[in-house]
Amino acid sequence: MLPDEDSLAQMIASAGRLLPPQGPIDAFVAQNVLQGFEHLPFDEAVIQAARLHGAQAFLPETFYRGELDRGRIHAADLDAVLKTDLGERHGLSLAGGRIRLGDLQRTLLIHGVRHESDAAVRWTLTENDVLAGDTNGDLWHACVEASSRSRPSIVHLQPPLRHRDLILALDPTLDTDALVHPLLIRMTAAYLDQGVASWPMPDRQQGLLAAVAELYSGRIGPLPSWCSALPERLRTIRGRAAADVIREELEALGVPATSWPEFIPLTLLALRGWAGMVRQFAERPDRAPVEAVPARLADFLALRLVLDRLAIEHAARRLKFRAAPTSNGAEAPLAAFWMELRDRHPPRRGAGGLARAFLLLQVARLVGLSAADILALDDNELVELELGIAAFDSLARRRIFHLAYERRHAIGVLDGLAAQASLPAEGRGGRPRVQTIFCIDDRCESFRRHLEEFASDVDTFGTAGFFAVAMYYRGLDDWHAIPLCPIVVRPQHTVTEAPAAESLASHRLRQTVRRSLGRLRGGMATGSRTLFRGGLLTSIGGAVAAVPLVARVAFPRLTTLVAGGAAEFTRRRVRTSLDLWRTTDVHLPDGTRPGFDADEMAAIVRRLLHDIGLTTGFARLVAVIGHGSTSLNNPHESGYDCGACGGGRGGPNARAFALMANDPDVRVRLAADGLVIPADTVFLGGMQDTCTSRVTWYDVERLPPTHRGDFEAFRVDCATAGGLDAQERCRRFDSVPLDVSPADALRRVQGRAGDLAQVRPEYGHASTAVCIVGRRERTRGLFLDRRAFLTSYDPTADADLAILERTLASVAPVVSGISLCYLFSRIDPLVYGAGTKLPHNITGLIGVMDGHASDLRTGLPLQGVEIHEPVRLLMVIDATSEAIRTVLERLPAVRTLVANGWIRLAAWDPHGGGLATYEPSAAGGGFVPYVPESPTLPTVARSADWFRGRRDHLPLARIEPQDRIGGAMFQEVSP
Amino acid sequence: MTEATATALHDAVAALVTWQLAAPVATLVAVGLPALLGRPLAERTTTRLVGAGFATSFLAALLTLAALAARGFSPEVVHLGTLFSVGHHATTIELVADGLSVPYVCFCTGLCWLVNAFAGTYLHREPGFTRFFILLALFGTGMNLMVLAGSIDVLFAGWEFLGISSTLLIGFFHERRNAVGAALRAFITYRLCDMGLLIAGVVVHRAVGSGDFERLFGGTWPHATCLIDPTTALVVALLLVFAALGKSAQVPFSGWLPQAMEGPTPSSAIFYGALSIHAGAYVLLRCEAVLDAAPVAGWLLVAIGIGTALHAAVVGSVQTDLKSMLAYASMTQAGIILAEIGLGLRIVPLVHVVSHAILRSLQILRSPSALHDRHELAAALGGPPGSGTCSILGLLPDRFGRGLYRIALERGFEDAAVQRFVIRPVLSLLEGAQAAESRLVAALGGTDPAADPRRPDRDGGAT
Repeated sequence: MLPDEDSLAQMIASAGRLLPPQGPIDAFVAQNVLQGFEHLPFDEAVIQAARLHGAQAFLPETFYRGELDRGRIHAADLDAVLKTDLGERHGLSLAGGRIRLGDLQRTLLIHGVRHESDAAVRWTLTENDVLAGDTNGDLWHACVEASSRSRPSIVHLQPPLRHRDLILALDPTLDTDALVHPLLIRMTAAYLDQGVASWPMPDRQQGLLAAVAELYSGRIGPLPSWCSALPERLRTIRGRAAADVIREELEALGVPATSWPEFIPLTLLALRGWAGMVRQFAERPDRAPVEAVPARLADFLALRLVLDRLAIEHAARRLKFRAAPTSNGAEAPLAAFWMELRDRHPPRRGAGGLARAFLLLQVARLVGLSAADILALDDNELVELELGIAAFDSLARRRIFHLAYERRHAIGVLDGLAAQASLPAEGRGGRPRVQTIFCIDDRCESFRRHLEEFASDVDTFGTAGFFAVAMYYRGLDDWHAIPLCPIVVRPQHTVTEAPAAESLASHRLRQTVRRSLGRLRGGMATGSRTLFRGGLLTSIGGAVAAVPLVARVAFPRLTTLVAGGAAEFTRRRVRTSLDLWRTTDVHLPDGTRPGFDADEMAAIVRRLLHDIGLTTGFARLVAVIGHGSTSLNNPHESGYDCGACGGGRGGPNARAFALMANDPDVRVRLAADGLVIPADTVFLGGMQDTCTSRVTWYDVERLPPTHRGDFEAFRVDCATAGGLDAQERCRRFDSVPLDVSPADALRRVQGRAGDLAQVRPEYGHASTAVCIVGRRERTRGLFLDRRAFLTSYDPTADADLAILERTLASVAPVVSGISLCYLFSRIDPLVYGAGTKLPHNITGLIGVMDGHASDLRTGLPLQGVEIHEPVRLLMVIDATSEAIRTVLERLPAVRTLVANGWIRLAAWDPHGGGLATYEPSAAGGGFVPYVPESPTLPTVARSADWFRGRRDHLPLARIEPQDRIGGAMFQEVSP
Repeated sequence: MTEATATALHDAVAALVTWQLAAPVATLVAVGLPALLGRPLAERTTTRLVGAGFATSFLAALLTLAALAARGFSPEVVHLGTLFSVGHHATTIELVADGLSVPYVCFCTGLCWLVNAFAGTYLHREPGFTRFFILLALFGTGMNLMVLAGSIDVLFAGWEFLGISSTLLIGFFHERRNAVGAALRAFITYRLCDMGLLIAGVVVHRAVGSGDFERLFGGTWPHATCLIDPTTALVVALLLVFAALGKSAQVPFSGWLPQAMEGPTPSSAIFYGALSIHAGAYVLLRCEAVLDAAPVAGWLLVAIGIGTALHAAVVGSVQTDLKSMLAYASMTQAGIILAEIGLGLRIVPLVHVVSHAILRSLQILRSPSALHDRHELAAALGGPPGSGTCSILGLLPDRFGRGLYRIALERGFEDAAVQRFVIRPVLSLLEGAQAAESRLVAALGGTDPAADPRRPDRDGGAT
């Protein structure tokens, strides 16, 4: 009984959820690579996923052991983790009460044992002095005898399901995937291409399967021998539904219908990047960079199976497989081949006698069992002991190591927070000079900290970097509007940036010049690839190309400065304004409305100010600062922009928000609700470039003359903070000396942004590990090492928990996605990550391949995660555990993440109480009071004193400016 | 000019020319030796050393150029030694500085210098960092040796250095199957076509008793005349053309080029965008007098060049990844350049080579920034950049268009054809020989050495 259409479609859909969730690369959004496993507890999920993907579940044991040696993991962490993990079994006695299971595992973790094969043991025995100290070899003989008494363990393993793996096990030179993939990649890439090829694939609108069937069913040219029957096969497929083809091919391959639910995902995962991209095009056609082709995963699967069958038939011929003749004389069916392959699959043997004896010897020595002890064990005890050792294999050990590694990280952070909370709150009377609202981004943490450090009268807030302004935005230089808001939101408003009346003329001039230059450049690029124009262009264009070649390569910093300066200069000549206020009631063709009306604006401003808890005590100047990142040589560039803006830049949102909050009508409406913004408070928008550490400002000319002075002073502050921020960032770059000055650091980070050769323009979110949702007062003065997302939230003004609810609903999925994307890309850079950037090759404008024909590489590149510490995000919420519990009940999606341990959670009692950590296994709601290990924090006068001279991750520290001299000590930085 | 100044100038030029070759060799040793002893130099030192080698080589070439220009580009032969001599036959090591070689060295070393600076940043923290720079220095050595060669033997030595460094850089990421496969593919193609140059060397030696270009051509480049008889000249010319086809990726030996884009971006730029791809053109330019004496070879060259250009232009227009697209773009121009040489042009192809190399290497170095550039371009143009100019191909009638598209997507069936008509017959022959041998051994000795079930992989070469 074959599965019907619906259940087949379901199988494909559920297989699709296992594929990488990454969409086209020009809007790279960091997401959990293992989204399809979120319904499982974290450690179970990573192990299952690793098995399915052929990936690593954790880092190698040598890494963790190194961390143990250098004190990053303590033995106490291992003890604690083992105690929780084993529960009652921790005290289980083994070897007749001579050792407990917990101690055995602890010993194995700390000292490690070598797993050797029989042959290796034999070699070790003859070549090495392993038995030294065992004078008579008694212990060794006892172990050999013991292992000969117990039966060798037999590993019953199901043979693999895919023909490819079965065939490869029989003949290592015969890899059917290596035959199929180049062709399949070529076909899929041609189908999905967004404009690299100047000649697009014909018949794309009919779907992948139909287009390929149309293209390849003709008889032209020689095909590789394995697929010479392809045209014939495709002719029979033309016009048929993909589901039909899939069913037919699976049947022909001899895979029983009961195995299809497993076979289909494995088949798709064999080329997971391309399969995932096909799925992305099918599910989110609106995210296609240029043209949404009607891609369907079923088409891809059908095509893949057709090619697979041809390759398997080829392999069957090579392996001299003779099919039993069928009654109706049809062509040799492969059905029996699969069964035969599975029968012939070589079984895997467990460890041999010598190997087990050697393992036992090592353990006996570590735990202090004598020869007599071992000989005294009865058969049951022996089996139990051996099982205890064997069950704690490398994977199990790495799992415990990883949990201990995360535990130590959590202790470092929570201890710091507890110590900070115990210090007397630093009251600062009077009105702050400036208030700033940043994105929650971990990269903004250092900027905010430096600003606060030398300008104690500046307060900072953090909120999702689209500032509650969800819009399609079309900037002056953009050719179409792009959404600036989290990817799950669909904006209802469109905002356009227009040249101001007085600079219309210079705008037109600039546009004309830019267009002509663009045409020239585009013409050179495409023309140089063609035959006739290319011949002319390449024979004379070299002289022109020599200038950028030499400039860009030999003088990257200078070129960036000049080119960037020139662009900035011409851009600055044109004053612009946002068409923010709705003047008409018509809808735009895309269904959105142009601009906002006063009520909508008031709602946005009200919501944001309530979210961050800024409802009274406004400063004269409130700066709203979004962020983005500029870099070259970085196909993943959009991954460094603002995640809350869906991989866009948050500057326009900040600008729009400031304009809204300044609007008199909006202020009247807010005041009616009791949110009174003083008349002398002015909002100002800005954008921070996280790669160059620079802040640019919007609508400065609209500032009232009374506030010019405030702004000028603050602009200088930001420039100073930018230098210090650059200095702190530079300590992570190996190629920058540790004693770099802020001014030099600024030049260096700016040079990196425009350097064609630079594969590490910035480190992005690498090293991110913490998210703190709460009042900034509680974390102000704490050195968080750019590793913490900081979301402002005031629990004292949130009686019904509505604010916490909407904050968690929007923040938790985003930050956990970022942290898990980095975590998995770091743990397995080859399977979950994109590998090294050096051979990356942009394909179809949708992704990167390694070299000329590989799977699409998804995840983050190695250069972006090399400094990342793979720990799950630790989210600390400034709220009581009851409040958090209540909110989690209202948010099932976040609850799943927390309960399954994809986020580590802690509550920080807002009323001066202590911390409580969420333990998924604990009874009664899961919060367990946290007892700090060390109650003190190192204290330094300024951040630089703590980070200078050090490359690695740093523990938390308290920054207590000794003598504030208002920035005089930072004169080395020129704004 | 007095005789004393002339001698001094002569000595100075000889020293400068020697230095152009010695500099990359010195850096090769300076960087390679510590690595060989297991103590590789620091990244910065490595980059600086190799960079210094190229820089001084470049400056020496500039000075030589000035000196040559001062006396009207009369060639300067630098005799480095004699390998052996028997009677009137000798194999000498000679370099020649003339209007072709010295400007070309300037261009090569200048470009290598730039790419060296680029790679220093690009490969930072890469495990194969030192290896890359050793190979780059090896490449520089080979390039300068080939360009400055004053005899066909020296030319061949440089040519081989070029081939081996190219192969090793394609397989730079040797843990990846594709990379190693592509490197092997390039290596096999190179070796096959190297036979042309090697046999040409033997023929030249037979004809004139030495490999020296002085004995082969008379006069100054580009107006040299061929000193051997027309029949020998035709044979030599055909062999040289054959040799050039491999390195310059001409039909039917072009399949390796798109696959060669497996290495790090800077090496792809300098090899397949700039220097290695034009090595064939340089050899033909060097020996242009022989081509002049053998018009048939010239016409053959034109035919192959135009064929390659057409092939690459059509195939390139359907490539969906940037590096393959650029590889075919390079191939198109390499074809045109060879056709120009075949037509008897000299300065035009030389200018074309230099100009194309600069433009293309910039494009390859920029290729990882393509998304950024495209966004900028779209912003400047006020719309997405038009997908191109080959759209004329998309206007072909459906049936014909589809057929041509398929040919293009299958890269002209070159790989399949090579697999079917070259690799398979060769493998069957070898397998047959092996089977026969084992039968013979079995008959003689009674044991069967071929009981090993693992047979060679028929498709190994093509994947």
